[in-house]
Amino acid sequence: MSGDEMNPAAVAQAVEDIQGDDRWMSQHTRFVQECKDAEPEVLFIGDSMVQLMQQYEIWRELFSPLHALNFGIGGDTTCNVLWRLQNGELDNIGPKVTVVWVGTNNHEHSAEQVAGGILAIAQLLTSRLPKTKVVVLGLLARGEWPNPLREKNVAVNSFLRSWLPRLGHTQFLDVGAGFVHSDETISTRDMFDFLHLTAAGYRAIAKPLIDLLLQILEGTPEEKRASLV
Amino acid sequence: MALSTPRLLVRFLGGRNLLYGGAPFPSEQTPGDSKTRNEETDKVMSSGDSNPAATPTPCVDIQGDGRWMSLHNHFVSNSKDKEPDVLFVGDSLVQLLHQFEVWRELFSPLHALNFGVGGDETQHVLWRLSNGELAHISPKVVVLWVGTHNHSHTAEQICGGIMAIVQLIKDKLPKAYTLVLGVLPRGKMPNPLRERNAQVNKLVKDAVSSLPHASLLNVDPGFVHSDGSISHQDLYDFLHLTPQGYQAVCQPLHAHLKGLLEKQAEN
Repeated sequence: MSGDEMNPAAVAQAVEDIQGDDRWMSQHTRFVQECKDAEPEVLFIGDSMVQLMQQYEIWRELFSPLHALNFGIGGDTTCNVLWRLQNGELDNIGPKVTVVWVGTNNHEHSAEQVAGGILAIAQLLTSRLPKTKVVVLGLLARGEWPNPLREKNVAVNSFLRSWLPRLGHTQFLDVGAGFVHSDETISTRDMFDFLHLTAAGYRAIAKPLIDLLLQILEGTPEEKRASLV
Repeated sequence: MALSTPRLLVRFLGGRNLLYGGAPFPSEQTPGDSKTRNEETDKVMSSGDSNPAATPTPCVDIQGDGRWMSLHNHFVSNSKDKEPDVLFVGDSLVQLLHQFEVWRELFSPLHALNFGVGGDETQHVLWRLSNGELAHISPKVVVLWVGTHNHSHTAEQICGGIMAIVQLIKDKLPKAYTLVLGVLPRGKMPNPLRERNAQVNKLVKDAVSSLPHASLLNVDPGFVHSDGSISHQDLYDFLHLTPQGYQAVCQPLHAHLKGLLEKQAEN
């Protein structure tokens, strides 16, 4: 499916400025400029789930110290992220880890296509940044009650779980545990609009993510424990 | 793959399909002195018949997870056991405010409720307030912040939409004061949306000038620098506020609100 001309979710595409204030391109240009000045150890790329994280305290507490860059843009699909990565957002940087979180906005594509788009992003990253380890975050549940988008995101994750291990240097991390309660609802305490995370929601996903990042950055778990002593 | 324009428009509107009520909108007014405003035009613009921005319209769930209606239902049921003195209502700029420390610091102590929904345009807020969100509460002040997402409407129509909301609040909460916040500039560099938003603010300021129960507050602390640019440190995507941006906006807003609440208490 990935690299297949027939998968629209794996076709790089810029966002056209319809609204009239050119904000998407301005954000992309800023990221390209950041690549010239910064030497990130960790790169986050994706949609609003990535972008919003930087606005909460948790970014300063946990991710800035890892020398992380945040290239999230709200509303982005896999197509948009592919375009940005092919047009300067990987220039002159060599992060040890790249975290990819995108796919929930791909409304025109099937679950399989979305997974194929994410796979294409992972492939692009490992080929352009040979030293990087890619961590793909699973898509979260959304909506207050069970709905077709929850099922779709579960299906995307399922494809990713089986496809990603076949790529070298890439792994899948599911950070969605606990958001759907036993009555099948999602709480506004975790997702203030049943899609975007609150500070508490980000704290919940940060724990498994930071553990994995530290593990990768510092080598084995034994080395990590030794260095923290 | 080329996407057709209507689908791109839908994508930018957060995937919503907007139902337009009423007749096609009147042709553009000629630019000119807003002081010679036409009362008839004002009436037309804030009535639902000819202005889609002033026609109560719910969001249709295109994406498929029903989030807009879920939020609306939450606001209605949440309001049943609360007695807020202040109600914030509007779009993502209101909604996101609720997520940062500044809300707890400045507005929780004022007993404020937050009914912001990301992406909302004037006609969506109008629908929400007409359909239960004001039914169980009597705030002394309603802070209204909306208009920047009305992409298919003119400045005049957006003003009409805001004024329709002001009128609705007056009808449902006769003792409440409505504080309309000016729409902020957006985009990294000068662009037509900045002009449109500035024009909306000008028109609304004129329209509320004769009303004892409403006013417009300009909350832009000077986000546009001398070179015309806006910084991502204030508006992280050149539209939405960072926590630092909110502090700059909310400190004066908070002071103004306290003054209003004290005046309301005296009356």
